[in-house]
Amino acid sequence: MILQTALLIGLVVFSVLAILLKDLLRSAIALAVSSLLLGIIFFRMGAPYAGVFEISVVAGLITVLFILTIALVHKGDEVRESRLVNWAFPLAFVVFLVIDALVMKGLIGKVPALASGAESGTFGEVLWKGRTLDLVGQIAVILAGVFAVLALFRKRDKHE
Amino acid sequence: MSNTWYLYLFFSAALVFAGLLGLLGKRNLIKLFICIEVVGKGVSLLLLSTGFAKGSMLTAQALVITYIVIEVSLVATALALIINIYRTTRSLDIRGLAKLKG
Amino acid sequence: MIILFVVLPLIVAGLLPLAGKVSRRVLPDLLANATLLFLLVYAAVAGRALIAGGPVLHQSSWLGEAVGIRLALDGFSLLMLVVVSLVGLAASLFSIDYMEHYGAKGNFYALYLVMVAGMNGLILATDLFAVYVFLEVAAVASYALVAYGLGHDELEAAFKYLMLSVVASAFLVAGIAVVFGMTGSLDFAAVASGLRELNAGPVLGIASALFLLGFGLKAALVPFHAWLPDAHPSAPAPISAVLSGLLIKVSGVYAMTRIFLNVFGLTPALSTVLLWLGAVSMVVAAFLALGQKDMKRMLAYSSISQVGYVVLGIGIGTPLGIAGGLFHLFNHALAKGLLFLTSGSVQQATGTRDLDEMGGLAKRMPVTAVTNLVGALSISGVPPLNGFWSKLLIIVALVQAGHPVFAVVAVLASVLTLWYYLLMQRKAFFGQLNEKWAAVREAPFWMTAATVLLALLCVGIGILFASTVTTWVQPAADILADGIHAVAGSWGF
Repeated sequence: MILQTALLIGLVVFSVLAILLKDLLRSAIALAVSSLLLGIIFFRMGAPYAGVFEISVVAGLITVLFILTIALVHKGDEVRESRLVNWAFPLAFVVFLVIDALVMKGLIGKVPALASGAESGTFGEVLWKGRTLDLVGQIAVILAGVFAVLALFRKRDKHE
Repeated sequence: MSNTWYLYLFFSAALVFAGLLGLLGKRNLIKLFICIEVVGKGVSLLLLSTGFAKGSMLTAQALVITYIVIEVSLVATALALIINIYRTTRSLDIRGLAKLKG
Repeated sequence: MIILFVVLPLIVAGLLPLAGKVSRRVLPDLLANATLLFLLVYAAVAGRALIAGGPVLHQSSWLGEAVGIRLALDGFSLLMLVVVSLVGLAASLFSIDYMEHYGAKGNFYALYLVMVAGMNGLILATDLFAVYVFLEVAAVASYALVAYGLGHDELEAAFKYLMLSVVASAFLVAGIAVVFGMTGSLDFAAVASGLRELNAGPVLGIASALFLLGFGLKAALVPFHAWLPDAHPSAPAPISAVLSGLLIKVSGVYAMTRIFLNVFGLTPALSTVLLWLGAVSMVVAAFLALGQKDMKRMLAYSSISQVGYVVLGIGIGTPLGIAGGLFHLFNHALAKGLLFLTSGSVQQATGTRDLDEMGGLAKRMPVTAVTNLVGALSISGVPPLNGFWSKLLIIVALVQAGHPVFAVVAVLASVLTLWYYLLMQRKAFFGQLNEKWAAVREAPFWMTAATVLLALLCVGIGILFASTVTTWVQPAADILADGIHAVAGSWGF
C-alpha cells in the first residue's frame, strides 16, 4: 500500500510537471513518465491488461504523436505563458488538495454500494463476449479518427 | 465502498482538477491538450479503482481499454487540428484564436 | 435486425474511400444516400410494426453463443431513429451539390456515416458505458466535420468545440464510474433496479450533477452553450443542419432524458432543475439571437433556445409535457435542419452570411425563400405548422402542472422567436433586391430538393399533427412517463 501511494504521488507530481514545464518536449516526456507510473499502478491493482495498454498505448503511442506534433510545429514559436499562472497554479492546487483530502475523509462510508457478485470468466471472455458492443464502438471511433486525420490533411486548395 | 477507494478517488480528483486548472490558465494549444490528457488519466484511474473496490477488475479493465482507444482517436484528431491551426496562423497561442466570440 | 442501424453505416463508411477512388462523384453520393434512405424506410415502415408488441430486444449471437451486443428499440428510440434518418438523409442529399467544392467527398460521406452510426448506436444502447462510447464516436466525427473547410474560423471553432466537449465527456465517465460503484453494473435495467434498492439519495444527486454537466454541455444548455454559436455557423451547411438538428438532441437531450427518466427516475428536484435550465436557455438564447447579424449565428442561438423548450417540456414530467417536449424535439430537428440548409443555399449563392448585406433574395431564389419561411414560421410556432402544436402542448402542460409563470415565459419567448425570425426573413429575402445579387440563381437541384422535402414535412405534420402525435410521439412519451418501469422489468436480457 505504501508503494502504491508513493506511485500515486509520483503520478500526480509528473502530471503537474507536464502541465507546468515550459519546454514542450520535456512536457511530453513528463506525461509519458506519468503514464508509465499509472501503468504500474494498474498492474499492482491487479489489472495487467489495462496496465499493458496504458504503457504501450498512452505512454508509447500517444507520446509519439505528441512528439511528432511538437516536431512539426517547432519553429522557435514560443508562446509566452501568463506569469500569473506560474504561482497561481501551485497555490490553487495545494488549496484544492486540502479540500480534496477533507472531502474524501468526510465521504468515507457515506457512499452506498450494493454488494457485488464474483466475476465470472476470463478477461478474454469478459471483453469479447461481455462488452462486444464496446468493441464495435472502438472500431467506429478508430474509423472516425482515421477519416478525421485524412480529411484534415487532405491536399487541395482551401475553401474560404 | 472500501476505504482504499477513497484514497484513489483523492488522487483521481487531484489529477482532474490539475488538468482543469491548466485548461483555464495555459495558452499554448499543445499544452492545453496535455491538460486534457491529464484529466483523462484521472478519469481512467477512477474507473479502474471503482472496479477494484467492487471486485470487478475484468469489467473495469475492459472499460479502461475502450476508454484508452477512444482517447487515441481523440488525440489524433486534436493534434491534426492543432497542426492545421499552426499552418494557418503560424502560432500556437490560444489568444490568436479569439476571432469568434461565442 | 436493428443492429443494421449501427453496422450498415459503418460498413459503407469503410468502403467509401475505395468508392471515392473508383468514381469521384457518383458512387460516393449514391452509396451514402442509399444507405440513409434504407435506414429511413426501415425505421419508418418496419419500426412501428416491430414495437407494436412492446420493446424489441436484440441480442446478437456469434456461432451460436450469446455475445455482448444488446440493443433495445422502444417507442422513444424509434422516434429518435426516424428523426435521425430523416434529417440525416435530407442533409446528405443537400451535400451532393453543396460539398462539391470542398473536395474529398468520399471522405466527407465516410465521416458523415460514422457520425450517423454513432448517433444510432447511442439511441439503441442499453448500457451506460455504451452510451458514452457511441457518443464519442459521433463527437470525434463531428470535430473533423466542423473543421472540414480548413479555414481559420472553422479550425478555431472546431478546436474550442473539441476542448469543451472532451471535458464534458470526462464528467460523463466520472458519473458512470459513480453509478458503477454504487450498483456494480452498467446495464440500464440492472442499474435502475439497483438504485431503487439502494435508496441512494445524495450520492445519486452527485452522479446526476455530473451527468447534467456532461449532457448539458452536449445539448448546449445555458450556461454550457458557449461552444455552439461558433461551431454551428462555421461548419459546412449540411453539417450545421445535422449538428443543430440532431447531434445536440441525440448526445444531449436523448441521452440525458433516457438516463434521468428511465434509469434514475425523475425526482421533483431533478424536475425543477430541468425546468429552470430549460427556461433560462429558452429566454437567454432568444435575447442573444436578436442582435445577430450573421444568419447562421442567429440560427445557432435559436437552437439553444429551442432545446430549452424541449428540456422545459420534458422537465415537467407529466405525460402531456413529455409528449410536447418530444414532439418539439422532432419538429425542431426538421425545421432547424431545413433552416440551416437554406442558409447554406444562400451562402453558396451570395458568398456571405451577413444579413445586412443581403436583401430581396426572394426575387432570385423563390423556392429557397419559401422553404426558409416555412422553417422560420414552424420554429416560431405559427399555426398550422408543426412547431405551433408542439409549443402549444408544452404551454398547456405547464399550466396544467401548476407552473403558470413558466407558461407565460414560454409564450413570451415564442413571441421573441417570431420577431427575430421575421427580422431574418425581411433582411435576407424580402425588401429591395441588392444589385450585388442581381445575377444570383436558385440553388442547384439536390439542395432545393432537400429543403423542399423538409418544408413539406413541416407543413404536413402541422396539418396532420393529431395522427403524427398518436402514432409516433405518444408511444415515446408513454415509455418516458413510465419511468423506471419501462426499463427495469422489460429490458432484462
